Amino acid sequence: MLLVPGAVGLWLVTGGRALPASTARTVALVAAGVGGLAAITATVMRPVVDRAWIPDLGVRWHFEVDGVSAPLVVLTAVIGVLVVAHAWVERPWADAPGSGSAATYLGCLLLVVAGAFAAFAARDAVLFFLAFEVVLLPMWVLIGRYGDPHSARARADASARFILYTAVGSTLMLVGILLLVTRAGTADLGELPAAAATLGTGEQALVALLLTIGLAVKVPVFPLHTWLPAAHTTAPTAGSVLLAAVLLKLGTYGLVRLPLANVPDGFSRIAPVLAIAGVIGILWGGLICLVERDLKRLIAFSSVAHMGFVVLGLASGTETGVQAALIGNIAHGVISALLFVIVGGLKHRWGSVDLAVVRPALREVSPRLGFALILGLAAGLGLPGLAGFWGELVALLAAWNPAQHTGILRTCAVIAAVGAALAAAYSLRVARIVWVGERVADDAREAAVAQTPDARSVELGVMALLGAAVVVIGVAPWVVFSVTADAVTALVGGGR
Amino acid sequence: MSALWVAQLLVGIPVLAAVVTLALRRTPALAALVATGASLLSVVVAVVGMAVAPVRGENLVLLRQPLRVGAIEMPFELWSGPATAAVAAVVGLVAAAVLVFTRWYLADDDRLAQFAATVSLFTAAMMLVVHARDLVLTLVGWEVMGWCSYLLIGHWSRKESARRAAYKAFLVTRVADIGFVLGVVGLSAGAGSTGLDRVVAFWSHTGGGCVDTVTQTAACVAPPEPWLRSLLLSLLVIGVLGKSAQFPFQDWLPDAMEGPTPASALIHAATMVAAGTVVLAQLFEVLVLADGARWLLGLSTAATMVGAAVLALGQSDLKRLLAWSTVSQVAIMLSALATATAEIGPDPALFHLWSHAIFKSLLFLTIGWLSVVAGSTLARALRGSVAVHQLARVAWLFGLLALAGAPFVVGGLSKEHVISTAYEGAIGAGGPGVIVLAALLVTVVLTAAYATRAWLVVTASVPETESAHDHARMPSAPVLAALALLTVLSVVGGLVLLTGLFDIHGTSLWWMVLTVLLIVIGGGITWLARGNEDPRDSFVRTPRQRALADGGLGFDTAYRRGVAEPVLGLARVVAFLDREVVDGYVRGAAASAGIAGWLTERGHRREAASGGVALVALGLLVAAGTAVLAWR
Repeated sequence: MLLVPGAVGLWLVTGGRALPASTARTVALVAAGVGGLAAITATVMRPVVDRAWIPDLGVRWHFEVDGVSAPLVVLTAVIGVLVVAHAWVERPWADAPGSGSAATYLGCLLLVVAGAFAAFAARDAVLFFLAFEVVLLPMWVLIGRYGDPHSARARADASARFILYTAVGSTLMLVGILLLVTRAGTADLGELPAAAATLGTGEQALVALLLTIGLAVKVPVFPLHTWLPAAHTTAPTAGSVLLAAVLLKLGTYGLVRLPLANVPDGFSRIAPVLAIAGVIGILWGGLICLVERDLKRLIAFSSVAHMGFVVLGLASGTETGVQAALIGNIAHGVISALLFVIVGGLKHRWGSVDLAVVRPALREVSPRLGFALILGLAAGLGLPGLAGFWGELVALLAAWNPAQHTGILRTCAVIAAVGAALAAAYSLRVARIVWVGERVADDAREAAVAQTPDARSVELGVMALLGAAVVVIGVAPWVVFSVTADAVTALVGGGR
Repeated sequence: MSALWVAQLLVGIPVLAAVVTLALRRTPALAALVATGASLLSVVVAVVGMAVAPVRGENLVLLRQPLRVGAIEMPFELWSGPATAAVAAVVGLVAAAVLVFTRWYLADDDRLAQFAATVSLFTAAMMLVVHARDLVLTLVGWEVMGWCSYLLIGHWSRKESARRAAYKAFLVTRVADIGFVLGVVGLSAGAGSTGLDRVVAFWSHTGGGCVDTVTQTAACVAPPEPWLRSLLLSLLVIGVLGKSAQFPFQDWLPDAMEGPTPASALIHAATMVAAGTVVLAQLFEVLVLADGARWLLGLSTAATMVGAAVLALGQSDLKRLLAWSTVSQVAIMLSALATATAEIGPDPALFHLWSHAIFKSLLFLTIGWLSVVAGSTLARALRGSVAVHQLARVAWLFGLLALAGAPFVVGGLSKEHVISTAYEGAIGAGGPGVIVLAALLVTVVLTAAYATRAWLVVTASVPETESAHDHARMPSAPVLAALALLTVLSVVGGLVLLTGLFDIHGTSLWWMVLTVLLIVIGGGITWLARGNEDPRDSFVRTPRQRALADGGLGFDTAYRRGVAEPVLGLARVVAFLDREVVDGYVRGAAASAGIAGWLTERGHRREAASGGVALVALGLLVAAGTAVLAWR
């Protein structure tokens, strides 16, 4: 069911490596499409797969989609199809000779998607961890082999940094999970909250701390974020999109699923620290975006800032906060995917996205690309009517009335609101540099258009779909809120 | 058609128009026509809305399942009341006039369709703010307006000055919006709902007299603390000050004159800068209890109305003169909210919003026409330009009369009411009434002075040689009709009081006599200062003074030095820290792992030779030590 992309991806990586690019692309697209459809069906039908797997540990092969994971599964399904389709636009295997075959590239994309499906659907803590790890390796290949063709050193540095950072985080998480599972005596996420309630406060806090630090690497929460800009900058466009839209979501999803749901008392003890780290991330990311010269790095740092809002929502520990985090998650997924498609496209066209280089304005030369960019930037600065607004506003509402630590979290809310103003400053800074500019004289127009050809066919389709998602979530947030509402109530109420 | 339907249509029609217009951007003329048609339809609906507006006191609520986000309830209701209907009508009217004017003014612009779409969206956002019965909807409209103003001010994005002005306008208002967002968050989090009714019920509850409806039980349990109410309202007021270009955020508005004139007319007359008045009027019952917020609002508006009027006197660009006059007039509106007592209510402010919308749009559209004639908005170029058409002369005259607050025209009536409101506030209750009243009276003099100056400039007689006005194209008939309609409304718009939509008490004749006297003094000062030279030099004589006046007393530099540069400096420090310190640990970890690996490798290589012996010796030592310790 969800395993079609996994199987096809695995086959492409191993057996099908020699396939010509065109065949591989079609196969991969079909696989992603089938997997996506199956996933969307699964979110509607909600089937359950539950088999014993490692009985000694009580680990079960248990998959189920609920309200918390449903929007993320749909997001992954859509993004999965889009990144494979994007292979018609950008061909990293052809740009960097010697990097590897097209089939390997596409296989890795599919494996990441399959791993993400598994992680979002897993109902077993150990299974979740395994799925979480499955995602890392193909991503490492994507960054290291198919990344920025201009600098092998940057690729090596970024991919090594990515894998080591996240592996360290995963190790901590694994320790946390094992501690939790052995103490509670079950690995089933449905039974864990009740079972874990018997743990002492010290143990709860320790488990929550381990899990949170491990997952915070993935989110990423300040000060564990330094792998992100490097990875985003070097990864191919599809890789960046997957990173932002799927991998980071694993981190926040894990935070909801593991520490918040299972050890709420322990989690609420470290919540203020998490909230403070979150708002520092908001300010930190926002400030760096004001002076950062590389556009891709800038978008990556803005991700750090946006995830800060998500973390702030989580740290409030209330139902409202978790709702904010979930919609903020989805919103960030589509917004940053859109921005990375655009910026990746620009980098592909220009060779670099250094903001200090003066180029013809997008609004003058390639209006469609320009429109998509300004839409993404507007959504990024939290404009109402677009996706980003709801996550930020509701996170602030939640932080104003948190479950505990009212004083600290209110201060955090104030700082986060300041960070929202920073978002406006850096988004419009980008708009002012890239989007608007002088009139292009008629004789220079041809050269300028040749340098920045406008988006068409597949690229345009990808951008249009993401843009539409940004608008739909912004105009009708209850699409997401209503799906997550009941599950969140059960989740937050369940542990108490 | 019920009032509720009107509210939904008024928000919905412009949104739809914006989408359709944007879709038709390949054919700009058709797109603009669609937008204009939709706006005219809105006017019709809005007039119907005035007719069917619910009677005062009747509560009209759309019942719908509210969206629940955790503990917070979001009802997303729209609503319409008497004053709301009147304000909505004037917003629709100004938007329609602006679009009609745009079709002529920007006929040659390649982004006419985008402009028309943005104007439609802008109108929709304002309609949303006007009709919102939910703070989140208010916030949505509020921010969308900010974004549309960014697009409109930066419409001519090929000009660096326009790009900068748009950036500045958005940033300044957005910084002030930190306060607005926090105010909204705090108010709704306290009430547990973003619905305006529950927010007002919760926060205006003073402890006594529990009301037994379900929604207000929470208020009965714990009346809100006064300091928190004042704080939250003050935060909200900060946002309003930013959007309405009040001190200390005033400097973005004159720069926003870089936008096309129809955009200025829209921003100034009926939408963005006036939105704060609408929002605070909706929250009036809470505001009247929040003394801190009222003092903040009163002091800021008092300073702004006088300061802006003084700056308006010195401008060498007539469009910027109008911009400063807007700042001053909006301060007058808001001051009515700061001083009004609970009995008077917010309607004097809304009435001034209504009249200001009419005459300011008239003035802006007229100056847009004149600037096409003269080729510039500089006072020097506009001298004598009014000779182009009799309607221009009449429109300009009545617009300025209303601006100066001459009796019986619409601006005069509303200003009288604001003044008497301030007077009642000054004698009746605490709060900033006295200061505001003094500032108002000074402002009346100054307003008359700069209005006279604006009149003298455009009617000055010019030697024939300088006049190149004959070749300019004439506006189309619809534009002339729109201007004529606005002119008529500037004269008789005050009759809206007869409909009873605004709940306004009478004012005393003595105030009228006093203001007439003050207006005559103000006009007289300008007349005397005019001297024999040309009138644009009447108040500002040296180049240094002119630079100071045109630069808005150097507030731009203050923003840059005081806010922008420190933030950028901090950003550089943070970027450095991120690279060298936070990432330093990571690299340090990698390096130490490398060193450890290297040492281990060395250790292993030695093992083959002497290393082995050393290890054996070490092992023996350890064994011996253990033995000794264990022996004891």
